[in-house]
Amino acid sequence: MINTVSSNIKNISTLEYKEKKFEYWGPTPDESRKLMVNKSHALKDKRMSLKEAVGKHIRDGINLGIGGFVNTRVPVAIIHEIIRHGARDLTLSFQSNSICPELLAGAMILDPDRVSIKRVELAWWGYEIIGIAPMVRYLATNGIIEMDDYTNYGMSVRFKAASMGIPFIPVRDHGGSDMELVNRGKMIECPFTGKNVYLLPACHPDVGIVHTTAADMYGNARIFGAYCTCPEIAMAANATIMTTEKVIPTESIRSYPNLTEIPFPVVDTVTEVQYGAHPGASYGYYWFDMDHIKMFRSICEDFRKTGNKDALKKYYDEYIFGCENHDDFLEKIGYKTLKKLKDMDGGQPIILT
Amino acid sequence: MSEYTPFEMIAYTGSRVLKDERIVFVGTGLPIIAAMHAQLTHAPNLYMIYEAGSLAPILEMGMPLSVGDTRAARKACYLKGLCGAFELTQRGCADYAFIGGAQVDMYGNICSTIEGHNYDKPGIRFPGSGGAGAMAANCEKTIAIMALEKRRFVKKLDFVTSIGFGDGAPDYREKAGVLGSGPYRVITNQALFGFDEATKRMMLLEVKPGRTPAEIQELVDFELIIPPDVKEMAEPTDEDLRLLRDVIDAEGYFLKRVIKK
Repeated sequence: MINTVSSNIKNISTLEYKEKKFEYWGPTPDESRKLMVNKSHALKDKRMSLKEAVGKHIRDGINLGIGGFVNTRVPVAIIHEIIRHGARDLTLSFQSNSICPELLAGAMILDPDRVSIKRVELAWWGYEIIGIAPMVRYLATNGIIEMDDYTNYGMSVRFKAASMGIPFIPVRDHGGSDMELVNRGKMIECPFTGKNVYLLPACHPDVGIVHTTAADMYGNARIFGAYCTCPEIAMAANATIMTTEKVIPTESIRSYPNLTEIPFPVVDTVTEVQYGAHPGASYGYYWFDMDHIKMFRSICEDFRKTGNKDALKKYYDEYIFGCENHDDFLEKIGYKTLKKLKDMDGGQPIILT
Repeated sequence: MSEYTPFEMIAYTGSRVLKDERIVFVGTGLPIIAAMHAQLTHAPNLYMIYEAGSLAPILEMGMPLSVGDTRAARKACYLKGLCGAFELTQRGCADYAFIGGAQVDMYGNICSTIEGHNYDKPGIRFPGSGGAGAMAANCEKTIAIMALEKRRFVKKLDFVTSIGFGDGAPDYREKAGVLGSGPYRVITNQALFGFDEATKRMMLLEVKPGRTPAEIQELVDFELIIPPDVKEMAEPTDEDLRLLRDVIDAEGYFLKRVIKK
């Protein structure tokens, strides 16, 4: 018998909160296992357009696991397609992100019948050096979306637990902070050491979205630069939509199998999208587009301060609804900018052979 | 001696606190600058961990603008993801956590989640823990950078995001299941604080030349421990300022920011 204990937080903050009844905010471990078992595990060509991929897997009410980290390898092309497709009542799960949840939140503010976010399990939502994320500040401050807070390790290792096929994982953080009170983890007495240890529930998204450095047509993917939590998210999700900078031959994958960070059985769709993380960065290809992020952020900040949606609507009409696909978007960004961002990456070394 | 700004004083003091042959888990901005300064001066064998996944990079492409910046991965010794970085920390390889926050209390607990009391509908929602909660739990020593203001050095936090010494009980951290030894230094541009071993309370260690301990206490909402031997903070030399301004943050991304009132 496992004893639930408390780390004895004695009212050290002024926090008021409602006790949450435990539930998984997406597929349960058993549901997710069953789904994975019943999938075809064949090496088959999974390439398709993003429109097809999103049409096939994105639906209302799902838990959407978002890859990347802050401004790095963020799956922006997929997010644009999801906004064009529409998805209501979403649960978002990620560690730290900037433009992806902001884009979804902006779409919700413009038209909640097209895109809406119900709740978010996360560690952090912001732009780092560029500033706070105005949309989350607006939505969460006004209690419009429900938040469930973990650390960056907490969210990452919740995906990892799911990727390992285990229902929870013990960690040495969260305890003694107010996250222990508000999130869905639990403090127990370790059955072996007899000491307190915090448990986090696995996080299985219905759909994981990741952008990778290179992949073959089956979804075997390489990641250069920081992995962020992309391998874990892809492996945790019931379905994974992947964009990749470059589709490479399977022969290359088989030459250096150690370099495969995401294996084919967990990947459902593969789409080659160059600059698929823009305005985020993709190591070895391009640095992040600070000017574009600043421009979008300032439009969101103006909405937060004034309530006026005109500039926001104009941004979405121009860069998302005015585009059939990511190529159309990149054409609006322009060759000179893309060239500059490529130069700023400085040719970080990646292996594509 | 040249004039220096508050940010430069914080970065310089942060650098002084870091020892050589150690690993520092850095947050965006001043912590990265402080660690780079330390590497260029007294701690050539100090290494950084970035939470996106890199250990001991060589920052030859310039200062990373965020902890997820691809430049932070440059020529690292080990490059994985968030799990890799935090598991090294949980294992005991990260000596210092270098974090910030909106509020700190006398036991070094830090808030970066909300302002206001109601979690579901706060006064202001901040970005959240990010890596800070995990760093404060499991790096061996926690160093915090804060602006020295009464509304930030508070009696009671709105939310405990990053664990310090909790309520000051000697076994608080053990019961919380965390591994690191906890708060070590709090750095501001006007004072450097440590923590009293017996009571776990914040203690004034150094003040900026020209300031008195009483003046510092005025800027703090809880009672500080003020020992009789409070020292003067060392000030950056011309060479330190040259490194900070011309070498480390040459574009002035962090050091040239204007402090919002």
